[in-house]
Amino acid sequence: MTPEERSRKEAAGKGVAAPRSLAESLRARDDASLSALLRARPDLITPVPTDLTQLATRAATRASVVRALERLDRFALQTAEALAVAADPASYDELLGLMAGDGGAEADPVVAESLPRALAVLREQALAWGPDDRLRLVRTARELLAPSPQHPSPTGLGPSAAEAASGMSPGRIQEILTATGLPTTHDAVSAVASLTALFTDRARMAALLATAPAESLEVLSRLVWGPPYGQVTADPAPRLRWLLDRGLLLPTAPGTVVLPREVALHLRSGRAHRHTEPLPPALATAATHRPQMVDATAAGQAYTTLATVEELLKDWDEGGPSVLRAGGLSVRDLKRTAVALDVPEPQAAFWVELAYAAGLLASDGEVDERYAATPAYDEWRELPAAERWSRLATAWLAATRTPGLVGGRDAKDRVLSALGPGLDRSAAPEVRHRVLTLLAGLPEGASPTPDSVLARLRWERPLRGAQPAADDLRGRLAEWTLSEAELLGLTGRGALSAHGRALLGETPEHAPAAEPAGPGDKLPVHHRHHPPALREPLTAAERAAAASRAARLLAPLLPEPLDHVLLQADLTAVAPGPLERPLADMLGVLADVESKGGATVYRFTPASVRRALDAGRSATDLHAFLAAHSRTPVPQPLTYLIDDVARRHGHLRVGAASAYVRCDDDTVLNEILADKRSASLRLRRLAPTVLAAGADPATLLEGLRALGFAPAAESAEGDVLITRAHAHRTGPRTAPEPVPEGPPVPDATLLTAALRAIRAGDLASTTPRKPGPAPASDGDLPRTTSAETLATVQAAVLTGSALWIGYVNAEGTASQRVIAPLRVEGGFVTAYDHTADEVRTYPLHRVTGVAELADDQL
Amino acid sequence: MNGPLIVQSDKTLLLEVDHEQADDCRRAIAPFAELERAPEHIHTYRVTPLGLWNARAAGHDAEQVVDALVQYSRYPVPHALLVDIAETMDRYGRLTLSKHPAHGLVLTTTDRPVLEEVLRSKRIIPLVGARIDQDTVAVHPSERGQIKQVLLKLGWPAEDLAGYVDGEAHPIELSEDGWALRPYQKQAVENFWHGGSGVVVLPCGAGKTLVGAGSMAQAKATTLILVTNTVSARQWKHELVKRTSLTEDEIGEYSGTRKEIRPVTIATYQVLTTKRKGIYPHLELFDSRDWGLIVYDEVHLLPAPVFKFTADLQARRRLGLTATLVREDGRESDVFSLIGPKRFDAPWKEIEAQGYIAPADCVEVRVNLTDSERLSYATAETEEKYRFCATTDTKRKVTEALVRRFEGQQILVIGQYIDQLDELGEHLGAPVIKGETSNLQREKLFDAFREGEINVLVVSKVANFSIDLPEATVAIQVSGTFGSRQEEAQRLGRVLRPKADGHQAHFYSVVARDTIDQDFAAHRQRFLAEQGYAYRIVDADELLAES
Repeated sequence: MTPEERSRKEAAGKGVAAPRSLAESLRARDDASLSALLRARPDLITPVPTDLTQLATRAATRASVVRALERLDRFALQTAEALAVAADPASYDELLGLMAGDGGAEADPVVAESLPRALAVLREQALAWGPDDRLRLVRTARELLAPSPQHPSPTGLGPSAAEAASGMSPGRIQEILTATGLPTTHDAVSAVASLTALFTDRARMAALLATAPAESLEVLSRLVWGPPYGQVTADPAPRLRWLLDRGLLLPTAPGTVVLPREVALHLRSGRAHRHTEPLPPALATAATHRPQMVDATAAGQAYTTLATVEELLKDWDEGGPSVLRAGGLSVRDLKRTAVALDVPEPQAAFWVELAYAAGLLASDGEVDERYAATPAYDEWRELPAAERWSRLATAWLAATRTPGLVGGRDAKDRVLSALGPGLDRSAAPEVRHRVLTLLAGLPEGASPTPDSVLARLRWERPLRGAQPAADDLRGRLAEWTLSEAELLGLTGRGALSAHGRALLGETPEHAPAAEPAGPGDKLPVHHRHHPPALREPLTAAERAAAASRAARLLAPLLPEPLDHVLLQADLTAVAPGPLERPLADMLGVLADVESKGGATVYRFTPASVRRALDAGRSATDLHAFLAAHSRTPVPQPLTYLIDDVARRHGHLRVGAASAYVRCDDDTVLNEILADKRSASLRLRRLAPTVLAAGADPATLLEGLRALGFAPAAESAEGDVLITRAHAHRTGPRTAPEPVPEGPPVPDATLLTAALRAIRAGDLASTTPRKPGPAPASDGDLPRTTSAETLATVQAAVLTGSALWIGYVNAEGTASQRVIAPLRVEGGFVTAYDHTADEVRTYPLHRVTGVAELADDQL
Repeated sequence: MNGPLIVQSDKTLLLEVDHEQADDCRRAIAPFAELERAPEHIHTYRVTPLGLWNARAAGHDAEQVVDALVQYSRYPVPHALLVDIAETMDRYGRLTLSKHPAHGLVLTTTDRPVLEEVLRSKRIIPLVGARIDQDTVAVHPSERGQIKQVLLKLGWPAEDLAGYVDGEAHPIELSEDGWALRPYQKQAVENFWHGGSGVVVLPCGAGKTLVGAGSMAQAKATTLILVTNTVSARQWKHELVKRTSLTEDEIGEYSGTRKEIRPVTIATYQVLTTKRKGIYPHLELFDSRDWGLIVYDEVHLLPAPVFKFTADLQARRRLGLTATLVREDGRESDVFSLIGPKRFDAPWKEIEAQGYIAPADCVEVRVNLTDSERLSYATAETEEKYRFCATTDTKRKVTEALVRRFEGQQILVIGQYIDQLDELGEHLGAPVIKGETSNLQREKLFDAFREGEINVLVVSKVANFSIDLPEATVAIQVSGTFGSRQEEAQRLGRVLRPKADGHQAHFYSVVARDTIDQDFAAHRQRFLAEQGYAYRIVDADELLAES
């Protein structure tokens, strides 16, 4: 049973009372229908709700509704938008009128045909509920989609006449009624209702508008498709005045008028949307190639993929680039890799990320972190070529990392680096799958235009609101998918290859090769369910089966490895195709690669031949190797080159020794070598009169002395070194600074100043004081001269004692406070105010006077 | 898919010569791909933007190019490469240079943003005049070559529809009595004439002079021929008198010694580039007559100032002739943009197969330095090293042995260093031709050599070009201008003129082992090796032991 049928049944009621709430409507749904809901909106079951009421509540939460709306296709969204501007509840016919225009099904049969599907989707996703005669949009969705001045609706419709007129004075509304020729009513509510009735009556409206001046109609036509708001001056022009008088424009704020929704709908002959898009846009075919050609091209590219990944990891074999501190590959390393692979940088990023996604490379986790191939790489190398490819392609399909972002910047303006953090986009696998499925929907060999693929994806997931195109992540993901699929060899010349099809899990039986392109393809689209959820995701086992089927299809298309090369007299070798691995490895050592592609051109140089000799091959080996693998006789210059290099190879020998013994009498050296005790010195005869030693000179001297010889040390110039007690010295150093225990001894100036301060404080505390007025007894403020005040406060700072002050604040209110001054500067005293229990600053000129406290007063 | 062609990712094309479809494939890719190397089994072609644009200019479109690649390719051609080719070819012809009845030379576009883009370039601004309308801008007529060159560098090559002036008519006919143009020469003349201007590349000894003569007979107009030196000028004159209806009086020589301007004038590069008081006094030669054709002999040697003058001559037909379009200064592309694209190119081995040039046995003789020489070589100053190893005594012994071996045949000994040549001349009892030898003396010696009165001739690099020594069968090179590839090719060319008895020619290059002489030799040989000349390498000791 399709959801459509279900909803029909639901609508028909079949003896069950129409549901009164979303929860009730959910309750009426069967298990299949509920599981469809939960599959479409998996956020509803995390965590699993306790009952359907809770499920309904959760389905109506703002976050969940936004999520669900964002996943609607364009037509379903347009339907929801229309429901949001319709009456609540609305009947199916009203909705159809909004979508198809006044004529209903006859006016726009395509819309009429598609509407049940769209409505079924809304119902299935619990965004709309209720039977056909009482359709309701979930309240949250209605709030989100209904037009408001802040969030204009994509429909371009304004508020309804009732909403717009809610703030108007009843008198003004009656005036409008009179102007439109309606009888006045007793209250504002019925007046608005009568006005709305006029606006929604096509015949009467047409009659009313027929009397309108042409300029006024022109104003209306400007507002009709939105935005519905316009500016008016305090004294509107006659053409506006005519409209305002009749309520065809209603004021919303001073200077702003709006076209009421009903009027707009009348002018639009009932359509909520200027353009409805009931059908997904068909993919435009850019070209149709022979399927064999597509498969061959894709296979060629698949082979390039393998070669490139192997080349990349070979390049990194002896220690790849370092890992940045923040993770990822530095821009310089990416550049270097791009040059090494001879591809543009974005492509290099793709190959690196591909190898990473397939688990073939990773960071080694050492202290000095570098990228390196993983053990999985060695296993992968042993696989047959087609399987190697399917490993990579499967990894790519499922990866959330998006190499296309490399080089861009994240929200914090940090550069996104290849292999670095911040490249994961959870939508990537889904978009990839979707794009490839779309390609799979085309006849074999057909390649779509990228624009039409993007248009299709945008239809399936329209952008909400006016998002800038640069933020269109899905669009960018789709573009990347197309180019990456071509690079990987899933597609060839833009068309999906047979092995690509197999990888998607398409079996030949249900490959919809027959789906016609263009507007004629109504049937398949209509009867197919909501497009993005086209097919259940493949299980792991199915994926493995698909991968091996793809590999089987690809295998015969990949070039057979060759076991021979063509040698030429200009010292090049051409491998006219891929080489068997041992042969390729050996040639890679023996010659330099000059150009790559279908074939490989190698050039022999003295340096490359030397490299092979260094790797332990003899000239004879090399001759035999070339003779065995060359289709043509080995050219004389090449033979000569190898012999010539081999002749000089190893002519000079280099080794390490840490000391030597030389003696003009070679019998002495014989004697030393013959002595068993000299074994620890690791001596070796280089010439009759020279021994090299593994031991360092000091040990050697000691050792030889122990053997009973009297050796002398020699300098680099050959002079005998005079042994003296060795004086070991450091480099230039400064003597350590002493670290005194307490503070440094003060100098004279400081001392004088300190003493003066101490004396001042002492004076302040010991000078006999004028008896101040008795504090608090009569509430009088203490009074002292400003000089006295200053001295007393300063002294208190030094002694840390508390004072009693009189203070007049900015408002002139006098108060008494007890303060412990901390600092006096710039005419202010900062003090701990015991009265207020905090540190405060008082201007000294506001302090009326100070007095010391009696000790017992604190 | 089992074609003869393999497309590489660096846009080189490898053609398997022994494949049954190789010839068809070669014809299909020749219009747009440049033959880079032609060794025995696999030839390498390169697809460059310039080549693609020349193909467009010759009337081929991207589809033909793509078809040719796809049809003959052994492996699938990467889609990206095909797209790139189509896009590159699409850039040609967005801009056109044409004659406007009111404004003279104008640059027009079919794609306005392109015009806007190039007009913003600093290098274009001084070359253009007023903007006539949104799609058209006037160009100073004298800057026709310059602007084409700059546009090419900017990647928007202009299609030149402004045409050529016919020049002053002058009757010239080929007098084909007892000889005829060879098929490839006819083809070269035809391709050149069809294309308007351009370069013809033929191996040494394959009769480039006749291609020149054939083109003149097509143009039937006054002609200016630019050659490298006076000897060469005389030979051109001699050849033209012999092969065409032109008489001695119709051909003028414009050189250091004579300044004749006649309907056909042969001038040397040297006299043109003589500078006096900061000006080139002989430049007016270009304007002295209404030339209908300008022939540049040995175009790979075109000196830099001549490039500049040539830029001003875009309205005249230009023919460049060369055997080796390799310049160590890398200015090949300037030759193409100023004189014209390559109109004809024949691999050496192909002409050899047709019997028009003699097969050659190329041998590199490696001599060992003696121990004391090695020590002196190791301690020699860097700039003296090449001279030292190139003039080692052992080379004299080898040369003598070779001369003895080919006793009776016509032998050229070619070298770089005068004292080495003098010494060789003394030991071999042969005359030496060097810079100080007068032209008169040179011609006398050449004649004697031609007549067989002298068997061995020692020449310095003055004889590198355009001397016609028909009977030389052995050339021994003892030293050269460092690593010059074209010099090596020209020297081999001395012995490639077909021999009366179908004899094989011998080319010996004597090289000191394990020195920079050997490195330079390897570089020098590269061009010929790429043309399919396989050098054998022999040790001097073996060679001496044999003789």
